[in-house]
Amino acid sequence: MERPGGKGRPVDLLVEGFRKGTPGAFEAIVRTHQDRIYSFCARMLSDRDDAFDAAQEVFLSAWRNLAEFRGEAALSTWLLRIAANRCLNRIRRRKSLSEREAPWPEPAGEGEDGIVFQPPGGEADRPDRLAETCEMGKILTEALSRLDPGSRWMVLLSDVEGFSYEEIAALADVPVGTVKSRLHRARMAMRRLLSPVA
Amino acid sequence: MDAMDCILSRNLLSDLQDGTLDPATEARLAAHLRGCGECAGAGASLLAVRKLLRSLPPDPAPPELLQGILAAVEAEGRDAGADPASVGADATRPFLSRFRIPLEAAAAVLLFASVYWYQYRQPPAPAVRPPSVLSYGPSSEAGKTSASRPMAAIEDTAGGSPPAVRLPHGNPGTARKAGPAAPKPRTWTAENLPSAPAYFASTDSERIVPVVPSHGPTDDPAAAGTPAFGEMRSAGAEGGADSPPSRVFAAPPSRLLRPLPYGRDIVVDVKREAREGAEERIAGAALLLGGIVERMERDTAGAAPGATGTVRVILPESAAARFIEEMDRIGTIPPEGKPVATDLPAGPRPGTVAYAVRIRVR
Repeated sequence: MERPGGKGRPVDLLVEGFRKGTPGAFEAIVRTHQDRIYSFCARMLSDRDDAFDAAQEVFLSAWRNLAEFRGEAALSTWLLRIAANRCLNRIRRRKSLSEREAPWPEPAGEGEDGIVFQPPGGEADRPDRLAETCEMGKILTEALSRLDPGSRWMVLLSDVEGFSYEEIAALADVPVGTVKSRLHRARMAMRRLLSPVA
Repeated sequence: MDAMDCILSRNLLSDLQDGTLDPATEARLAAHLRGCGECAGAGASLLAVRKLLRSLPPDPAPPELLQGILAAVEAEGRDAGADPASVGADATRPFLSRFRIPLEAAAAVLLFASVYWYQYRQPPAPAVRPPSVLSYGPSSEAGKTSASRPMAAIEDTAGGSPPAVRLPHGNPGTARKAGPAAPKPRTWTAENLPSAPAYFASTDSERIVPVVPSHGPTDDPAAAGTPAFGEMRSAGAEGGADSPPSRVFAAPPSRLLRPLPYGRDIVVDVKREAREGAEERIAGAALLLGGIVERMERDTAGAAPGATGTVRVILPESAAARFIEEMDRIGTIPPEGKPVATDLPAGPRPGTVAYAVRIRVR
Protein backbone atom coordinates (compact mmCIF):
# COMPACT_ATOMS: atom_id res chain seq x y z
CA MET A 1 0.00 0.00 0.00
CA GLU A 2 1.31 3.41 -0.90
CA ARG A 3 2.29 5.41 2.12
CA PRO A 4 1.06 8.95 2.07
CA GLY A 5 3.21 11.97 2.61
CA GLY A 6 6.92 12.07 2.34
CA LYS A 7 9.38 14.08 0.32
CA GLY A 8 11.31 13.32 -2.74
CA ARG A 9 8.77 11.01 -4.20
CA PRO A 10 9.00 10.33 -7.90
CA VAL A 11 7.03 12.47 -10.22
CA ASP A 12 3.53 11.17 -10.76
CA LEU A 13 3.46 10.54 -14.46
CA LEU A 14 -0.29 10.73 -14.53
CA VAL A 15 -0.23 14.16 -12.93
CA GLU A 16 2.41 15.30 -15.37
CA GLY A 17 0.36 14.01 -18.22
CA PHE A 18 -2.69 15.77 -16.88
CA ARG A 19 -0.83 19.03 -16.62
CA LYS A 20 0.40 18.68 -20.17
CA GLY A 21 -3.12 18.04 -21.35
CA THR A 22 -2.47 14.48 -22.36
CA PRO A 23 -5.77 12.96 -23.40
CA GLY A 24 -6.86 10.24 -21.08
CA ALA A 25 -4.56 11.27 -18.24
CA PHE A 26 -7.39 12.28 -15.96
CA GLU A 27 -9.34 9.16 -16.72
CA ALA A 28 -6.29 7.16 -15.75
CA ILE A 29 -6.04 9.06 -12.50
CA VAL A 30 -9.64 8.28 -11.71
CA ARG A 31 -9.19 4.64 -12.54
CA THR A 32 -6.15 4.46 -10.31
CA HIS A 33 -7.66 6.05 -7.23
CA GLN A 34 -11.40 5.58 -7.50
CA ASP A 35 -11.57 2.41 -5.40
CA ARG A 36 -9.62 3.91 -2.55
CA ILE A 37 -11.53 7.16 -2.56
CA TYR A 38 -14.87 5.51 -2.93
CA SER A 39 -14.09 3.07 -0.09
CA PHE A 40 -13.06 5.89 2.15
CA CYS A 41 -16.22 7.81 1.38
CA ALA A 42 -18.37 4.74 1.84
CA ARG A 43 -16.84 3.98 5.23
CA MET A 44 -17.08 7.53 6.30
CA LEU A 45 -20.65 8.07 5.19
CA SER A 46 -22.00 4.59 5.69
CA ASP A 47 -24.11 5.16 2.63
CA ARG A 48 -23.16 4.02 -0.84
CA ASP A 49 -25.20 6.62 -2.63
CA ASP A 50 -23.68 9.38 -0.58
CA ALA A 51 -20.28 7.82 -1.11
CA PHE A 52 -20.86 7.77 -4.85
CA ASP A 53 -21.73 11.44 -4.88
CA ALA A 54 -18.90 12.34 -2.55
CA ALA A 55 -16.34 10.46 -4.61
CA GLN A 56 -17.57 12.20 -7.71
CA GLU A 57 -17.18 15.53 -5.98
CA VAL A 58 -13.68 14.61 -4.93
CA PHE A 59 -12.53 13.89 -8.45
CA LEU A 60 -14.32 16.88 -9.88
CA SER A 61 -12.59 19.06 -7.32
CA ALA A 62 -9.31 17.42 -8.21
CA TRP A 63 -9.88 18.12 -11.88
CA ARG A 64 -10.41 21.78 -11.06
CA ASN A 65 -7.42 22.10 -8.78
CA LEU A 66 -4.90 19.57 -9.98
CA ALA A 67 -2.98 22.28 -11.78
CA GLU A 68 -2.09 23.68 -8.35
CA PHE A 69 -1.13 20.29 -6.95
CA ARG A 70 2.48 20.74 -5.91
CA GLY A 71 3.36 17.11 -5.43
CA GLU A 72 4.54 17.61 -1.86
CA ALA A 73 2.51 14.54 -0.96
CA ALA A 74 1.25 11.62 -2.93
CA LEU A 75 -1.72 12.22 -5.14
CA SER A 76 -3.65 9.65 -3.14
CA THR A 77 -2.94 11.62 0.03
CA TRP A 78 -4.15 14.77 -1.60
CA LEU A 79 -7.30 13.06 -2.83
CA LEU A 80 -7.96 11.56 0.58
CA ARG A 81 -7.71 14.96 2.19
CA ILE A 82 -10.30 16.26 -0.20
CA ALA A 83 -12.43 13.22 0.47
CA ALA A 84 -12.19 13.66 4.23
CA ASN A 85 -13.32 17.25 4.02
CA ARG A 86 -16.12 16.43 1.65
CA CYS A 87 -17.38 13.59 3.82
CA LEU A 88 -17.23 15.63 7.00
CA ASN A 89 -19.18 18.36 5.30
CA ARG A 90 -21.77 15.86 4.24
CA ILE A 91 -21.98 14.42 7.71
CA ARG A 92 -22.48 17.86 9.18
CA ARG A 93 -25.28 18.49 6.76
CA ARG A 94 -27.13 15.41 7.69
CA LYS A 95 -30.14 16.35 9.68
CA SER A 96 -30.74 12.91 10.92
CA LEU A 97 -27.17 12.31 11.87
CA SER A 98 -27.91 11.55 15.48
CA GLU A 99 -30.47 8.99 14.48
CA ARG A 100 -28.19 7.25 12.06
CA GLU A 101 -25.11 7.08 14.19
CA ALA A 102 -24.62 4.81 17.13
CA PRO A 103 -23.92 6.47 20.45
CA TRP A 104 -20.29 6.86 21.33
CA PRO A 105 -19.33 3.83 23.43
CA GLU A 106 -18.38 4.61 26.97
CA PRO A 107 -14.76 3.82 27.66
CA ALA A 108 -15.59 1.75 30.66
CA GLY A 109 -18.59 0.06 29.12
CA GLU A 110 -17.63 -3.28 27.70
CA GLY A 111 -21.04 -4.86 27.75
CA GLU A 112 -23.04 -6.50 25.00
CA ASP A 113 -24.52 -3.19 23.81
CA GLY A 114 -21.53 -2.24 21.74
CA ILE A 115 -21.10 -5.52 19.99
CA VAL A 116 -21.86 -5.30 16.31
CA PHE A 117 -22.76 -8.90 15.78
CA GLN A 118 -23.29 -12.05 17.70
CA PRO A 119 -20.53 -14.60 17.39
CA PRO A 120 -21.72 -17.75 15.72
CA GLY A 121 -21.45 -20.94 17.56
CA GLY A 122 -19.92 -23.21 14.90
CA GLU A 123 -16.19 -23.48 14.43
CA ALA A 124 -16.41 -23.00 10.69
CA ASP A 125 -18.45 -19.85 11.13
CA ARG A 126 -16.29 -18.31 13.80
CA PRO A 127 -15.77 -14.61 13.20
CA ASP A 128 -12.00 -14.97 13.08
CA ARG A 129 -12.45 -17.15 10.04
CA LEU A 130 -14.56 -14.53 8.31
CA ALA A 131 -11.53 -12.57 7.33
CA GLU A 132 -10.38 -15.51 5.34
CA THR A 133 -13.68 -15.55 3.51
CA CYS A 134 -13.58 -11.84 2.73
CA GLU A 135 -16.20 -11.03 5.30
CA MET A 136 -13.88 -9.16 7.59
CA GLY A 137 -14.15 -6.07 5.44
CA LYS A 138 -17.86 -5.92 5.96
CA ILE A 139 -17.44 -6.48 9.68
CA LEU A 140 -14.87 -3.74 9.99
CA THR A 141 -16.95 -1.40 7.91
CA GLU A 142 -19.92 -2.05 10.09
CA ALA A 143 -17.84 -1.45 13.20
CA LEU A 144 -16.45 1.74 11.76
CA SER A 145 -19.93 2.98 11.04
CA ARG A 146 -20.65 2.78 14.73
CA LEU A 147 -17.91 5.20 15.59
CA ASP A 148 -18.41 8.87 16.10
CA PRO A 149 -17.85 10.55 12.69
CA GLY A 150 -15.33 12.92 14.23
CA SER A 151 -13.21 9.96 15.24
CA ARG A 152 -14.06 7.67 12.37
CA TRP A 153 -12.29 9.65 9.74
CA MET A 154 -9.24 9.75 11.97
CA VAL A 155 -9.25 5.99 12.29
CA LEU A 156 -9.71 5.63 8.57
CA LEU A 157 -6.89 8.00 7.75
CA SER A 158 -4.54 6.72 10.42
CA ASP A 159 -5.10 3.00 10.64
CA VAL A 160 -6.51 2.30 7.20
CA GLU A 161 -4.77 4.84 5.00
CA GLY A 162 -1.61 5.24 7.03
CA PHE A 163 -1.63 8.98 7.61
CA SER A 164 0.67 10.22 10.34
CA TYR A 165 -0.64 11.89 13.46
CA GLU A 166 0.84 15.16 12.31
CA GLU A 167 -0.94 15.00 8.98
CA ILE A 168 -4.24 14.28 10.65
CA ALA A 169 -3.67 17.06 13.16
CA ALA A 170 -3.04 19.45 10.30
CA LEU A 171 -6.19 18.31 8.56
CA ALA A 172 -8.32 18.53 11.69
CA ASP A 173 -6.63 21.70 12.87
CA VAL A 174 -6.17 20.25 16.34
CA PRO A 175 -3.05 19.43 18.35
CA VAL A 176 -1.32 16.13 17.76
CA GLY A 177 -2.11 15.11 21.34
CA THR A 178 -5.80 15.50 20.65
CA VAL A 179 -5.47 13.31 17.59
CA LYS A 180 -3.70 10.64 19.61
CA SER A 181 -6.26 10.62 22.40
CA ARG A 182 -9.17 10.55 19.97
CA LEU A 183 -7.61 7.76 18.01
CA HIS A 184 -6.92 5.75 21.09
CA ARG A 185 -10.49 6.06 22.24
CA ALA A 186 -11.77 5.12 18.82
CA ARG A 187 -9.48 2.11 18.64
CA MET A 188 -10.55 0.96 22.03
CA ALA A 189 -14.15 1.32 20.94
CA MET A 190 -13.37 -0.67 17.82
CA ARG A 191 -11.76 -3.29 20.01
CA ARG A 192 -14.91 -3.58 22.04
CA LEU A 193 -17.07 -3.67 18.94
CA LEU A 194 -14.92 -6.34 17.43
CA SER A 195 -14.19 -8.21 20.63
CA PRO A 196 -15.65 -11.43 19.30
CA VAL A 197 -13.31 -11.20 16.35
CA ALA A 198 -10.17 -9.53 17.43
CA MET B 1 9.13 1.94 40.30
CA ASP B 2 5.61 3.25 40.84
CA ALA B 3 2.70 0.96 40.19
CA MET B 4 0.44 1.73 37.21
CA ASP B 5 -3.29 1.26 37.41
CA CYS B 6 -5.34 -0.36 34.66
CA ILE B 7 -6.99 2.81 33.39
CA LEU B 8 -3.71 4.56 32.84
CA SER B 9 -2.13 1.51 31.30
CA ARG B 10 -4.96 1.07 28.80
CA ASN B 11 -4.74 4.71 27.84
CA LEU B 12 -1.11 4.17 27.01
CA LEU B 13 -1.58 1.08 24.89
CA SER B 14 -1.69 2.93 21.58
CA ASP B 15 1.41 4.90 22.48
CA LEU B 16 3.13 1.69 23.44
CA GLN B 17 2.30 0.13 20.09
CA ASP B 18 3.34 3.30 18.30
CA GLY B 19 6.63 3.24 20.18
CA THR B 20 6.25 6.82 21.34
CA LEU B 21 6.53 6.24 25.09
CA ASP B 22 9.56 7.33 26.99
CA PRO B 23 11.66 4.46 28.32
CA ALA B 24 10.63 4.91 31.95
CA THR B 25 6.92 4.90 31.19
CA GLU B 26 7.33 2.02 28.81
CA ALA B 27 9.08 0.03 31.50
CA ARG B 28 6.32 0.75 34.02
CA LEU B 29 3.63 -0.19 31.50
CA ALA B 30 5.43 -3.38 30.55
CA ALA B 31 5.68 -4.27 34.19
CA HIS B 32 1.98 -3.69 34.64
CA LEU B 33 1.06 -5.74 31.59
CA ARG B 34 3.12 -8.63 32.86
CA GLY B 35 1.07 -8.71 36.00
CA CYS B 36 -2.37 -7.78 34.62
CA GLY B 37 -3.99 -10.25 32.26
CA GLU B 38 -6.94 -8.03 31.38
CA CYS B 39 -4.77 -5.12 30.32
CA ALA B 40 -2.46 -7.44 28.44
CA GLY B 41 -5.45 -8.92 26.64
CA ALA B 42 -6.75 -5.46 25.84
CA GLY B 43 -3.40 -4.59 24.38
CA ALA B 44 -3.34 -7.71 22.26
CA SER B 45 -6.84 -7.16 20.95
CA LEU B 46 -6.08 -3.53 20.24
CA LEU B 47 -3.10 -4.56 18.19
CA ALA B 48 -5.25 -7.08 16.35
CA VAL B 49 -7.82 -4.39 15.53
CA ARG B 50 -5.18 -2.13 14.18
CA LYS B 51 -3.80 -4.89 12.03
CA LEU B 52 -7.26 -5.66 10.74
CA LEU B 53 -7.85 -2.03 9.87
CA ARG B 54 -4.50 -1.86 8.14
CA SER B 55 -5.40 -4.84 6.01
CA LEU B 56 -8.83 -3.55 5.19
CA PRO B 57 -9.05 -3.74 1.41
CA PRO B 58 -10.76 -1.02 -0.56
CA ASP B 59 -14.17 -1.70 -1.86
CA PRO B 60 -14.39 -1.62 -5.61
CA ALA B 61 -16.01 1.50 -6.89
CA PRO B 62 -19.12 1.02 -8.94
CA PRO B 63 -18.42 1.12 -12.68
CA GLU B 64 -20.71 4.04 -13.16
CA LEU B 65 -18.54 6.21 -10.94
CA LEU B 66 -15.92 6.70 -13.65
CA GLN B 67 -18.50 7.52 -16.26
CA GLY B 68 -20.19 9.93 -13.90
CA ILE B 69 -16.94 11.70 -13.13
CA LEU B 70 -15.91 12.00 -16.75
CA ALA B 71 -19.35 13.23 -17.72
CA ALA B 72 -19.27 15.85 -14.99
CA VAL B 73 -15.81 16.97 -16.01
CA GLU B 74 -16.79 17.14 -19.64
CA ALA B 75 -19.87 19.16 -18.82
CA GLU B 76 -17.90 21.56 -16.70
CA GLY B 77 -15.22 21.88 -19.32
CA ARG B 78 -17.87 22.61 -21.91
CA ASP B 79 -19.44 25.25 -19.70
CA ALA B 80 -16.03 26.85 -19.19
CA GLY B 81 -15.48 26.98 -22.93
CA ALA B 82 -12.63 24.55 -22.86
CA ASP B 83 -12.19 21.65 -25.15
CA PRO B 84 -13.93 18.75 -23.46
CA ALA B 85 -11.83 16.30 -25.38
CA SER B 86 -8.68 17.55 -23.80
CA VAL B 87 -9.62 16.81 -20.26
CA GLY B 88 -6.63 18.08 -18.41
CA ALA B 89 -5.13 20.86 -16.44
CA ASP B 90 -4.67 22.96 -19.53
CA ALA B 91 -8.37 22.98 -20.04
CA THR B 92 -8.86 24.79 -16.78
CA ARG B 93 -6.17 27.36 -17.27
CA PRO B 94 -6.74 30.74 -18.82
CA PHE B 95 -6.15 30.68 -22.52
CA LEU B 96 -3.11 32.92 -22.60
CA SER B 97 -1.47 31.30 -19.63
CA ARG B 98 -1.21 28.08 -21.57
CA PHE B 99 1.19 29.81 -23.93
CA ARG B 100 3.12 31.73 -21.35
CA ILE B 101 6.46 30.08 -21.98
CA PRO B 102 6.12 30.08 -25.77
CA LEU B 103 5.19 33.76 -25.66
CA GLU B 104 8.19 34.55 -23.52
CA ALA B 105 10.42 32.61 -25.87
CA ALA B 106 8.93 34.38 -28.85
CA ALA B 107 9.50 37.72 -27.18
CA ALA B 108 13.12 36.87 -26.54
CA VAL B 109 13.63 35.79 -30.13
CA LEU B 110 11.91 38.92 -31.39
CA LEU B 111 14.06 41.11 -29.18
CA PHE B 112 17.21 39.43 -30.38
CA ALA B 113 16.15 39.71 -33.98
CA SER B 114 15.30 43.39 -33.53
CA VAL B 115 18.66 44.19 -32.02
CA TYR B 116 20.45 42.29 -34.72
CA TRP B 117 18.39 43.90 -37.42
CA TYR B 118 19.03 47.32 -35.96
CA GLN B 119 22.73 46.72 -35.90
CA TYR B 120 22.84 45.28 -39.31
CA ARG B 121 20.38 47.58 -41.03
CA GLN B 122 21.00 50.75 -39.10
CA PRO B 123 20.32 53.45 -41.65
CA PRO B 124 23.67 54.61 -42.89
CA ALA B 125 24.43 58.17 -42.19
CA PRO B 126 25.06 60.34 -45.17
CA ALA B 127 28.13 59.26 -46.88
CA VAL B 128 31.27 61.27 -46.94
CA ARG B 129 31.19 63.01 -50.21
CA PRO B 130 34.22 65.20 -50.20
CA PRO B 131 34.55 65.58 -53.94
CA SER B 132 31.15 67.12 -54.33
CA VAL B 133 30.98 69.09 -51.17
CA LEU B 134 34.46 70.23 -50.53
CA SER B 135 34.53 73.92 -50.92
CA TYR B 136 37.86 75.54 -51.27
CA GLY B 137 36.71 79.00 -50.51
CA PRO B 138 38.18 81.04 -47.73
CA SER B 139 37.27 80.11 -44.22
CA SER B 140 37.85 82.46 -41.38
CA GLU B 141 37.27 79.68 -38.90
CA ALA B 142 40.01 77.60 -40.35
CA GLY B 143 42.25 80.57 -40.51
CA LYS B 144 41.82 81.26 -36.85
CA THR B 145 42.58 77.71 -36.01
CA SER B 146 45.63 77.58 -38.12
CA ALA B 147 47.08 80.55 -36.37
CA SER B 148 47.09 78.66 -33.15
CA ARG B 149 48.83 75.65 -34.50
CA PRO B 150 52.55 75.24 -35.22
CA MET B 151 52.06 74.53 -38.82
CA ALA B 152 54.10 77.08 -40.65
CA ALA B 153 53.92 75.18 -43.85
CA ILE B 154 50.20 75.40 -43.83
CA GLU B 155 50.08 79.04 -42.97
CA ASP B 156 52.40 79.78 -45.84
CA THR B 157 50.25 78.09 -48.41
CA ALA B 158 49.17 79.96 -51.45
CA GLY B 159 45.78 81.54 -51.17
CA GLY B 160 46.15 82.41 -47.54
CA SER B 161 43.52 80.56 -45.61
CA PRO B 162 43.10 76.85 -46.01
CA PRO B 163 39.94 75.73 -47.67
CA ALA B 164 36.89 75.25 -45.64
CA VAL B 165 34.75 72.19 -45.74
CA ARG B 166 31.02 72.39 -46.14
CA LEU B 167 28.94 69.69 -44.58
CA PRO B 168 27.08 67.73 -47.17
CA HIS B 169 23.97 67.35 -45.08
CA GLY B 170 23.63 70.66 -43.38
CA ASN B 171 23.90 71.58 -39.79
CA PRO B 172 23.16 68.60 -37.63
CA GLY B 173 21.77 70.79 -34.94
CA THR B 174 19.14 72.30 -37.13
CA ALA B 175 18.46 69.02 -38.74
CA ARG B 176 17.70 67.52 -35.38
CA LYS B 177 15.13 70.20 -34.78
CA ALA B 178 13.70 70.03 -38.25
CA GLY B 179 12.74 66.42 -38.38
CA PRO B 180 13.13 63.08 -36.80
CA ALA B 181 15.34 61.70 -39.51
CA ALA B 182 18.33 63.89 -38.72
CA PRO B 183 21.27 61.64 -39.26
CA LYS B 184 24.26 61.63 -37.11
CA PRO B 185 27.14 63.32 -38.90
CA ARG B 186 29.73 60.85 -39.79
CA THR B 187 32.45 63.40 -40.26
CA TRP B 188 33.56 66.53 -38.56
CA THR B 189 34.95 69.63 -39.97
CA ALA B 190 36.55 72.64 -38.48
CA GLU B 191 33.10 74.15 -38.06
CA ASN B 192 31.39 71.38 -36.24
CA LEU B 193 34.26 69.53 -34.70
CA PRO B 194 33.06 68.68 -31.22
CA SER B 195 35.06 68.81 -28.10
CA ALA B 196 37.74 66.26 -27.61
CA PRO B 197 35.86 63.72 -25.47
CA ALA B 198 32.92 63.59 -27.80
CA TYR B 199 35.29 63.43 -30.69
CA PHE B 200 36.96 60.42 -29.26
CA ALA B 201 33.76 58.70 -28.36
CA SER B 202 32.25 59.28 -31.72
CA THR B 203 35.10 57.81 -33.61
CA ASP B 204 34.62 54.53 -31.90
CA SER B 205 31.03 54.37 -32.96
CA GLU B 206 31.65 55.18 -36.57
CA ARG B 207 30.87 52.47 -38.95
CA ILE B 208 33.16 53.40 -41.78
CA VAL B 209 36.10 51.20 -42.34
CA PRO B 210 39.50 52.72 -42.89
CA VAL B 211 40.76 53.23 -46.31
CA VAL B 212 42.40 50.16 -47.55
CA PRO B 213 45.96 50.89 -48.49
CA SER B 214 47.05 50.33 -51.95
CA HIS B 215 49.38 47.44 -52.29
CA GLY B 216 49.16 46.95 -55.93
CA PRO B 217 51.99 45.81 -58.07
CA THR B 218 54.96 48.06 -57.67
CA ASP B 219 58.56 47.98 -58.47
CA ASP B 220 59.50 49.84 -55.39
CA PRO B 221 61.31 47.37 -53.21
CA ALA B 222 60.57 49.50 -50.19
CA ALA B 223 56.89 49.31 -50.82
CA ALA B 224 57.02 45.56 -50.80
CA GLY B 225 57.31 45.66 -47.08
CA THR B 226 54.37 47.92 -46.53
CA PRO B 227 52.25 46.77 -43.68
CA ALA B 228 49.25 44.97 -44.96
CA PHE B 229 45.96 46.62 -44.16
CA GLY B 230 43.86 44.22 -46.07
CA GLU B 231 43.06 43.07 -49.50
CA MET B 232 42.33 45.59 -52.15
CA ARG B 233 39.25 45.64 -54.21
CA SER B 234 39.30 46.70 -57.78
CA ALA B 235 38.06 50.12 -58.67
CA GLY B 236 35.74 48.76 -61.26
CA ALA B 237 33.90 46.82 -58.67
CA GLU B 238 32.67 50.02 -57.14
CA GLY B 239 32.04 51.94 -60.29
CA GLY B 240 35.38 53.40 -61.04
CA ALA B 241 36.88 56.76 -60.31
CA ASP B 242 34.10 58.74 -61.91
CA SER B 243 31.34 57.08 -60.13
CA PRO B 244 29.97 58.54 -56.92
CA PRO B 245 31.88 57.43 -53.93
CA SER B 246 30.70 54.23 -52.51
CA ARG B 247 29.41 54.34 -49.06
CA VAL B 248 31.00 51.37 -47.56
CA PHE B 249 29.80 50.69 -44.12
CA ALA B 250 31.21 48.26 -41.78
CA ALA B 251 29.36 45.19 -40.83
CA PRO B 252 28.52 44.69 -37.19
CA PRO B 253 31.59 44.54 -35.00
CA SER B 254 31.57 40.82 -35.12
CA ARG B 255 32.04 40.85 -38.84
CA LEU B 256 35.01 41.45 -40.99
CA LEU B 257 35.58 44.95 -42.20
CA ARG B 258 35.14 45.58 -45.85
CA PRO B 259 37.84 47.44 -47.70
CA LEU B 260 37.28 50.65 -49.57
CA PRO B 261 38.01 51.10 -53.23
CA TYR B 262 40.17 54.19 -52.92
CA GLY B 263 42.84 55.80 -50.81
CA ARG B 264 46.47 55.56 -49.87
CA ASP B 265 48.29 54.45 -46.81
CA ILE B 266 50.74 56.31 -44.70
CA VAL B 267 52.65 54.81 -41.84
CA VAL B 268 53.88 57.19 -39.19
CA ASP B 269 56.28 55.95 -36.59
CA VAL B 270 56.02 57.93 -33.38
CA LYS B 271 58.06 57.68 -30.25
CA ARG B 272 56.48 56.25 -27.21
CA GLU B 273 56.41 59.55 -25.41
CA ALA B 274 54.79 61.19 -28.43
CA ARG B 275 52.13 58.55 -28.86
CA GLU B 276 49.63 60.35 -26.70
CA GLY B 277 47.52 62.61 -28.86
CA ALA B 278 49.01 61.48 -32.15
CA GLU B 279 45.58 60.84 -33.64
CA GLU B 280 44.45 64.30 -32.66
CA ARG B 281 47.48 65.90 -34.18
CA ILE B 282 46.96 64.05 -37.44
CA ALA B 283 43.30 64.92 -37.50
CA GLY B 284 44.08 68.53 -36.74
CA ALA B 285 46.49 68.68 -39.60
CA ALA B 286 43.92 67.32 -41.96
CA LEU B 287 41.32 69.76 -40.80
CA LEU B 288 43.62 72.71 -41.07
CA LEU B 289 44.47 71.68 -44.59
CA GLY B 290 40.83 71.75 -45.50
CA GLY B 291 40.24 68.08 -45.20
CA ILE B 292 37.89 65.99 -43.15
CA VAL B 293 38.39 63.17 -40.73
CA GLU B 294 36.46 60.09 -41.54
CA ARG B 295 37.50 57.82 -38.76
CA MET B 296 39.91 57.33 -35.94
CA GLU B 297 40.79 53.99 -34.48
CA ARG B 298 42.78 53.59 -31.35
CA ASP B 299 44.71 50.62 -30.23
CA THR B 300 43.85 49.66 -26.71
CA ALA B 301 47.50 48.96 -26.11
CA GLY B 302 47.97 52.70 -25.68
CA ALA B 303 51.61 53.78 -25.85
CA ALA B 304 53.08 50.33 -25.64
CA PRO B 305 55.63 49.43 -28.30
CA GLY B 306 53.90 48.09 -31.33
CA ALA B 307 50.66 49.82 -30.50
CA THR B 308 48.83 51.16 -33.48
CA GLY B 309 46.21 53.65 -34.37
CA THR B 310 44.64 54.71 -37.59
CA VAL B 311 43.28 58.05 -38.71
CA ARG B 312 41.49 58.20 -41.98
CA VAL B 313 41.25 61.58 -43.65
CA ILE B 314 40.19 62.97 -46.98
CA LEU B 315 42.00 65.97 -48.28
CA PRO B 316 42.00 68.17 -51.32
CA GLU B 317 44.56 66.87 -53.70
CA SER B 318 46.44 70.15 -53.50
CA ALA B 319 46.97 69.69 -49.76
CA ALA B 320 48.34 66.18 -50.01
CA ALA B 321 51.99 67.15 -50.09
CA ARG B 322 51.65 69.45 -47.14
CA PHE B 323 49.83 66.77 -45.23
CA ILE B 324 52.70 64.36 -45.83
CA GLU B 325 55.13 66.94 -44.58
CA GLU B 326 53.05 67.44 -41.48
CA MET B 327 53.00 63.73 -40.87
CA ASP B 328 56.76 63.77 -40.99
CA ARG B 329 56.70 66.35 -38.26
CA ILE B 330 54.34 64.41 -36.08
CA GLY B 331 56.44 61.32 -36.46
CA THR B 332 58.63 59.63 -38.96
CA ILE B 333 57.36 58.17 -42.17
CA PRO B 334 59.45 55.12 -42.92
CA PRO B 335 60.21 54.29 -46.51
CA GLU B 336 57.66 51.57 -46.55
CA GLY B 337 55.11 53.92 -45.06
CA LYS B 338 55.09 56.49 -47.79
CA PRO B 339 51.99 56.61 -49.92
CA VAL B 340 52.40 54.87 -53.20
CA ALA B 341 50.35 55.08 -56.30
CA THR B 342 48.13 52.15 -57.08
CA ASP B 343 45.48 51.34 -59.57
CA LEU B 344 42.91 52.56 -57.11
CA PRO B 345 41.77 56.13 -57.12
CA ALA B 346 43.50 58.32 -54.59
CA GLY B 347 40.25 59.63 -53.29
CA PRO B 348 36.55 59.08 -53.54
CA ARG B 349 36.27 61.85 -56.09
CA PRO B 350 38.66 63.43 -58.55
CA GLY B 351 40.65 66.14 -56.89
CA THR B 352 40.66 64.45 -53.54
CA VAL B 353 42.97 62.09 -51.82
CA ALA B 354 42.18 59.84 -48.92
CA TYR B 355 44.83 58.78 -46.51
CA ALA B 356 44.75 56.10 -43.90
CA VAL B 357 47.45 57.20 -41.53
CA ARG B 358 48.62 54.35 -39.43
CA ILE B 359 50.44 55.21 -36.28
CA ARG B 360 53.09 52.86 -35.01
CA VAL B 361 54.87 53.17 -31.73
CA ARG B 362 58.63 52.72 -32.07
